[in-house]
Amino acid sequence: MATQAAFMHGSKAETETFWGTVWSWLTTVDHKRIGILYGTSAFIFFLVGGIEALIMRLQLARPDNTLVGAERFNELFTMHGTTMIFLAVMPLSAAFFNYMIPLMIGARDVAFPRLNALSYWIFLSGALFLNSSWLFGLAPDGGWFGYANLTTAQFSPRHTIDFWMLGLQILGLSSMLAGFNFLVTIINMRAPGMTLMRMPVFIWMSFVTQFLLVLAFPAITVALILLMFDRFFGTLFYAPAAGADPLLWQHLFWIFGHPEVYILILPAMGIVSEVLPTFARKPLFGAPVVIYSGILIGFFGFGVWSHHMFSVGMGPVADAAFSISTMLIAVPTGVKILNWIGTLWGGSIRFKTPIYFSLGFIAMFTMGGLSGVMHASPPVDLQQTDSYFVVAHFHYVLFGGSIFGLFSGIYYWWPKITGKLLDEKLGLWHFWAMLVGFNMTFFPQHYLGLIGMPRRIYTYAPDLGWNFWNLVSTVGSFLIAVSLLFFIANVIRSLRYGAVAGNDPWDARTLEWAIPSPPPVYNFARIPHVQDRDDFWLTKYGDGHGGAPRPKGAPVTAAEIAGIHMPPASFWPLLLALAVAVMISGLMISMVQVAIGGLLTLWLMYKFAVELHRPAAGHGH
Amino acid sequence: MADHQAVAVATHGGGSGHATVRTYVHVAIVLAIITALEVATLYVPGIPGPVLVISLLVMSAVKFFLVVGFFMHLKYDHPVMRALFVGPLIIAIAIILAVMALFSAFVLLPRVVL
Amino acid sequence: MADHAAAAVVAHAAHDPNIGSTGLDNRKVGMWAFLGSDCMFFGSLIGTYLAYKGKSISGPLPHQVFDIPLTSYSAALLLASSLTMVLGLSALQESRVKKAAMWLFVTAMLGLHFVLNQVYEFTTFVLHHDLKLSTSLFGSSFFVLTGFHGAHVTGGVIWLLILVMLAMRGKLDARDYTKVEIAGLYWHFVDIVWIAIFTVIYLIP
Repeated sequence: MATQAAFMHGSKAETETFWGTVWSWLTTVDHKRIGILYGTSAFIFFLVGGIEALIMRLQLARPDNTLVGAERFNELFTMHGTTMIFLAVMPLSAAFFNYMIPLMIGARDVAFPRLNALSYWIFLSGALFLNSSWLFGLAPDGGWFGYANLTTAQFSPRHTIDFWMLGLQILGLSSMLAGFNFLVTIINMRAPGMTLMRMPVFIWMSFVTQFLLVLAFPAITVALILLMFDRFFGTLFYAPAAGADPLLWQHLFWIFGHPEVYILILPAMGIVSEVLPTFARKPLFGAPVVIYSGILIGFFGFGVWSHHMFSVGMGPVADAAFSISTMLIAVPTGVKILNWIGTLWGGSIRFKTPIYFSLGFIAMFTMGGLSGVMHASPPVDLQQTDSYFVVAHFHYVLFGGSIFGLFSGIYYWWPKITGKLLDEKLGLWHFWAMLVGFNMTFFPQHYLGLIGMPRRIYTYAPDLGWNFWNLVSTVGSFLIAVSLLFFIANVIRSLRYGAVAGNDPWDARTLEWAIPSPPPVYNFARIPHVQDRDDFWLTKYGDGHGGAPRPKGAPVTAAEIAGIHMPPASFWPLLLALAVAVMISGLMISMVQVAIGGLLTLWLMYKFAVELHRPAAGHGH
Repeated sequence: MADHQAVAVATHGGGSGHATVRTYVHVAIVLAIITALEVATLYVPGIPGPVLVISLLVMSAVKFFLVVGFFMHLKYDHPVMRALFVGPLIIAIAIILAVMALFSAFVLLPRVVL
Repeated sequence: MADHAAAAVVAHAAHDPNIGSTGLDNRKVGMWAFLGSDCMFFGSLIGTYLAYKGKSISGPLPHQVFDIPLTSYSAALLLASSLTMVLGLSALQESRVKKAAMWLFVTAMLGLHFVLNQVYEFTTFVLHHDLKLSTSLFGSSFFVLTGFHGAHVTGGVIWLLILVMLAMRGKLDARDYTKVEIAGLYWHFVDIVWIAIFTVIYLIP
């Protein structure tokens, strides 16, 4: 219909010129566009982090190699870790939160659309700020978890740590703002009839993730504030000479850091929980149990943090307590794996690219979980920590887990987002090359760790017996890179010549598949009334117990669509994000910049807040 | 009128009941009295350490929950609001206690670190 | 019938974009979520203070510098300001905007008095007791913890004064109840954090 078409593309006048299009993206408050912004940025930074990894792998391919020196290598592993966690995996998850949460709960947008845009622009400025350090020759070099007191001014006098410290503060602010937004959205904006237990499991996992975000980031914010005060204002939080304990950093960091790894994995688990039922044509086995397991993991994830510190000498009581809690938390995780397998069992499986990546996730994540539960034993961990064994472990869960899960989501939801299909052949080339390359890269690292290779070393002697498997690992990493070329080719091909997807190309189960691909700006012409979990499936096929498919309602009228009010675009989020970046980055430049940035931030917060206060007549509440 | 209805829905936000101005003033008086008691407890001669600490903690906890329950209206609000605040509060307190234990800050317990 | 009830909720939600299908206001739910998060922020700072309590190797000790009478007065100021805040909110609900603005202004002034007391306290510590950020673990952890609390109070004062300004310009009335309510929630939170800090840092030896 004409009115629907007009809504689908926004104001035609604005978007017809190039600069008009740019402006519409800079000022968008539409969750779908913000999701695309996050996803595109995240993928670019994924490539950046990948290149950092390839350089490291090239350096380590041979003993006594001279491609990069020790200092550069420190920068590479610091930036690789920081980039992959904060600039790749988290924003990729955020892309799906943004695009899919409103669609899957039957809402038109998130609770606070302008705050949503603000989160993205703050993220981007933090990401650019952090990576600008490369241009100044000041890339952070203290490791992605920046242990004190290596990171204090005494031992790291250059600005490298400042880029890392301030960059993370900016990024943390972005994550927390988004966390509040999605919390309120999920609590308060579900379609009528969608009770909490009728929400899709992806929404549940995202819901738990948002709680983890808003409760874990304050701890690292404080850890970084204490470091900032030590570095800039002479406080003594991490100064052993003054009686301080450097372990304070480790505790505060890991109080954040452990929930953070659940932040990294839960969204991928949620994606897998959507993909498997769709392609097995069976409901998720024991969905309530999967949900409760996710909640348990989230809550008890706050009680295991010192398992990252078994080698620092906390004493037998602390070691035992955290060892027990860590082993216990493996239980709900394992339960979910059994539920996923139960979903596949007896299902009518269609092997398409999304389910390949989900199956890869299950296998790889299980392997990572097995090495993880080994670390839960302090005596065993004393050998494994800071060796390549733990590097193998976390890459199995973060790459084999999170990245495979996120690619499953990309292949699954690409048709919904773009209206086009990705090519299956290229998808499978991507999958198999990535699966083989990934295992080639990281499986040997278990062995390398057990025979004594420490992590974060820039080279090694030729007579230690590490040569062959390091070379294999390097070859594997380049195979991963090749696999990504298949993906990029697939993306370009799909955007140019891809087959039209239609509303529901996978014959799926959840609400987002009930609307056009890509969705109109208002998502749902009429907010659905939900009667059960997998409600869309039931409207198509009935309840499977002899009930007929639900009768469709009266067709949507033009008047209904004309009555939908979507929030207007706004440039305040972009400006406010810039002011915040100016203020925070000023801490390492001059207090004058901090003051100017601070005043600008306050003024822009005011303008942001009153933008919609007393709106023009006709739109007020 | 529609305006009043809108305000009523907005102010009650799904909760039941509402504190009156009188309630607020009563709560404020109680808060003032407890604060005075807290300070006075400090000056009780010869009070044993544990007794002082526990009574101060109890008194401040009462003040805390009076403000949260009445001034912040949580007593009358939808359970969602309670959950959003009490959950994180419990986690925060648990972490404070754990950090204290890990840094052997508890003088009442023997040192547990090797 | 369930359909009619659902339709009514939908109609209502369509009318006011801030009210969700639960009947709750987004902004209120969001503010409670933020306050939960801020509990973790102050929890981490208080945990740091308590971890380092008694471990300074030099510099003045807490009981040598704390002015309990002044701090008790400050605590009373904040408690009183919580009362004036709810009185202001109550007045707004009854559409008595001028009265509401007056109470909000008093709240802001009580908060400002608190901050000025704190500035006085900090100055005394630095000038008379030689206790600075860099003096000892006590100096570092005390100033950072109470300083961030003071910054929260300052932010609240600015927020309240902006609300007063809007009211004086005729741009605030009973329709904005939720906006003022969430400012109040933030303000009370700042008060209860002080209750915790006052007891744990100042009173408990």
